[in-house]
Amino acid sequence: MSRENLMLQIHQIQDEMLVMGSLVEQATMKSIESLKKRDKKMAVEVYNADRKINEKRYAIENSVLILIATQQPLAHDLRLLAALLEVSAEIERMGDYAKGIAKVVVNLGDFDIPVPIKEIDQMATLALSMLHRALGAFIIEDGETAKSIPAEDDKVDEMYNKVQRLLVNLMIEKPQNIDHANLLMWVAHNLERMGDRVSNICERTIFVTTGELVEIESKKKEIKL
Amino acid sequence: MTNQTDKQWAIETQDLDIYYSDFRAVKNVSLKIEPKKITSIIGPSGCGKSTVLRSFNRMNDFIPGSRVTGGIFFQGQNIYDPRIDPVQVRQRIGMVFQKPNPFPKSIYENVAWGARINNYKENLNDLVEECLVKSALWGEVKDLLQRPALSLSGGQQQRLCIARALAVKPEIILMDEPCSALDPIATLKIEDLMRELSAQYTIIIVTHNMQQAGRASDFTAYFTMDTDRAGSMIEYGVTSQVFTNPTHKSTEDYISGRFG
Amino acid sequence: MKNPLNLVSTTTYGRDLNLEQRQKKATIWKALFRLSTLVGVVALAILIISIVNQAFGLVAIEDTNDRNDFISTSIKEVTKTELIQLIETNLSTNRVRTLDREEPLVERSRHDLMALVETEVFKQRIVDSYSLFGSIFTPNTFRDQVAKKHPEAIVEFKSWFTPQFLQESMSKTPELAGIRTALFGSLFLILITISVAFPLGVSAAIYLEEYARQNTWLSRVIQTNIDNLAGVPSIIYGILGLTIFVRAFEPITSGRLFGYEGANGRTILAAGLTMALLILPILITNAQEAIRAVPNSLRQASYGLGATQWQTIWYHVLPYALPGILTGTILAISRALGETAPLIIVGAATYITKDPSGLFSNFTAIPIQIYNWTTRPQQEFRNIAAVAILVLMFMLLSMNAVAILWRNKIQNKR
Repeated sequence: MSRENLMLQIHQIQDEMLVMGSLVEQATMKSIESLKKRDKKMAVEVYNADRKINEKRYAIENSVLILIATQQPLAHDLRLLAALLEVSAEIERMGDYAKGIAKVVVNLGDFDIPVPIKEIDQMATLALSMLHRALGAFIIEDGETAKSIPAEDDKVDEMYNKVQRLLVNLMIEKPQNIDHANLLMWVAHNLERMGDRVSNICERTIFVTTGELVEIESKKKEIKL
Repeated sequence: MTNQTDKQWAIETQDLDIYYSDFRAVKNVSLKIEPKKITSIIGPSGCGKSTVLRSFNRMNDFIPGSRVTGGIFFQGQNIYDPRIDPVQVRQRIGMVFQKPNPFPKSIYENVAWGARINNYKENLNDLVEECLVKSALWGEVKDLLQRPALSLSGGQQQRLCIARALAVKPEIILMDEPCSALDPIATLKIEDLMRELSAQYTIIIVTHNMQQAGRASDFTAYFTMDTDRAGSMIEYGVTSQVFTNPTHKSTEDYISGRFG
Repeated sequence: MKNPLNLVSTTTYGRDLNLEQRQKKATIWKALFRLSTLVGVVALAILIISIVNQAFGLVAIEDTNDRNDFISTSIKEVTKTELIQLIETNLSTNRVRTLDREEPLVERSRHDLMALVETEVFKQRIVDSYSLFGSIFTPNTFRDQVAKKHPEAIVEFKSWFTPQFLQESMSKTPELAGIRTALFGSLFLILITISVAFPLGVSAAIYLEEYARQNTWLSRVIQTNIDNLAGVPSIIYGILGLTIFVRAFEPITSGRLFGYEGANGRTILAAGLTMALLILPILITNAQEAIRAVPNSLRQASYGLGATQWQTIWYHVLPYALPGILTGTILAISRALGETAPLIIVGAATYITKDPSGLFSNFTAIPIQIYNWTTRPQQEFRNIAAVAILVLMFMLLSMNAVAILWRNKIQNKR
């Protein structure tokens, strides 16, 4: 028993989601690139391209709703479609983070400030790698991989703290930097949030495979008094 | 639905009214069926959806006192034109019924019979194979062609009925609740089959089961009964549109189960 | 009987469901139904037993003239010429002339001559016969009776059912009489009846069910009439047959129109046509039932493929209805086979030795023979009537069996 029509349409939505993921990857890389080069024009391009990502998300949402309305997906199919709604929302938010970084680049203008670009670049690379693998795991429904990815978020957090310290030092050193260093703080924050969003995607993958909604949280994140 | 006049519709009805003696069962139906697509007709019991479907190949002629006003056009011809022989209409517009009703003959004979009586000139064996392949039954019955058709399961019988309809080379296949006597798995098989057939044939399906209309059709027409008990078409459009955001309150009530 | 368990909610129904009384009523009805069935079975058994009772039993045989005065050996060894000689020398010239006029002695069969010698020369007679049960349980009563009345007679056990009975034609002597003529008459009659009534009946049924407009004034009148005709007494059909086929259509039924030297219209053809009329209503109503039972979905399937009405009827309706039509035909044949009254009126011969040879020959039929024999005063004719009934029943059963087998074969093909 195949339900060829339903399967075909679910695959189409998954393809759309992958395209959306790669758009976000590109946007993030390009925004970091623009920060590195302090290229405002490039940043504006990234900023405006976010509209395309949002449109993709609405298209996916619409397709999922039509499938739920017309195809009566149940069990695994239903979980997959529900997860697709959630995951596309997460990716769209990640797109917004990239957009936020691009906006910082524009707002920095030509102000001369030593950007901790090496750490930021590393953070971005790590977050995008997590995203890439998380989406792969989602498509092939690989729960084991999905479970292992969120642990890497600790690394991103670690680097976030490092960048934070660097920027605070920068502010102490030179109070004129405060405004702009604060903007850069947002860049690091956005990248850190991206890691969290990837964790959410992984949770959805586990939901699709097992039907359980579990929070994957690394122990280090718990606050101790 | 735009009102292009140059477009060749599979079937076009104009102000169709259907009467049983003095009772008007269906009124004012103007419907344009897209060729090589699946169009479903849904609606509550007694809304005239089956009556409309049966009028498309003049199966209502057998009900004493039934008559039709307005027009049903097939390839530019009004099929209710007195000069047209209904037998010819039924050869071009085939039908699959609610209950699987294979002839009490062999599987082979079931498929071949329609072609034979219509004076088919080419190789019957090839035709039988072709039709059984198209109806996704060949693999299951290719070694049992001489077995009685009634020895098949319900779902297989219904696919045999589809193969039988294909054998007379129709352009349109009407299906009158083809899955209402089948289990869910057999139902989904028929739906997959319909999807495949829609590449070559126009399919019009009447169904009680709106989920089926949602799953299997490209276009959906919603019929309901008026206060004078005559059925009429309330809404007609792309299935995904009708099922997610219907234009009419009545359609919404029906598909969301709040009818009545 | 008290029910040890009480499962009933006392609040709704109270404690007493009146179960005992209800069950008792059910038991009484069941017993009544069983009794009715039993009565039927017993009646049937009595019927068969009384027939069998007549068909076998002890007989007393006696020669009126001592046969040793005429021949020295057993009659079976006497040649045909000697037999003729015996007849010619011992019977009056008048009697010989009469016999010769009926059928020349030299042309008669050996059996016929033997019978003549036995009956006319030796004047051998079965002087008395006894029932089967009497013969088994109280044979001495019979022997004593015979010894008293016919001291010369020999008592022996006789099965009235002999191969001879099937092979021989009519005779005035019960022990020599056979049923062949009547058997062929009946078979031929049924053949004519069915070949006329079956196509007519089925065609009429098809027209009424498939073509005629239902529920019109006319069709309702026709339908009611057909239903009622099935219940009209058969003697009325006999009178109808007499007026129409025997009298009005005499040139046809006597065969004169076709150059046949027929005496009158009282032929097997006229009788067959009358019988056909008689069973036509039964056939039509049964065929109609069978056609009505064909599922409409089958017709629709056929029409849906672009078949015409004729193709639908020929390829689907008729084959599907055929078993039902055959069942009706079986019933009709049984009716025709047992019918006596119309045949008497139409003019079946009661004494005939010639088998029917064509449509225009005279004939007799088994029920006619049975009727005729039972009206004779001699006990022995009643014995052969019982055997004839057995033959008739066997014939009916075997014809039914063939039809049922055929029907099942058709049904199994589906």
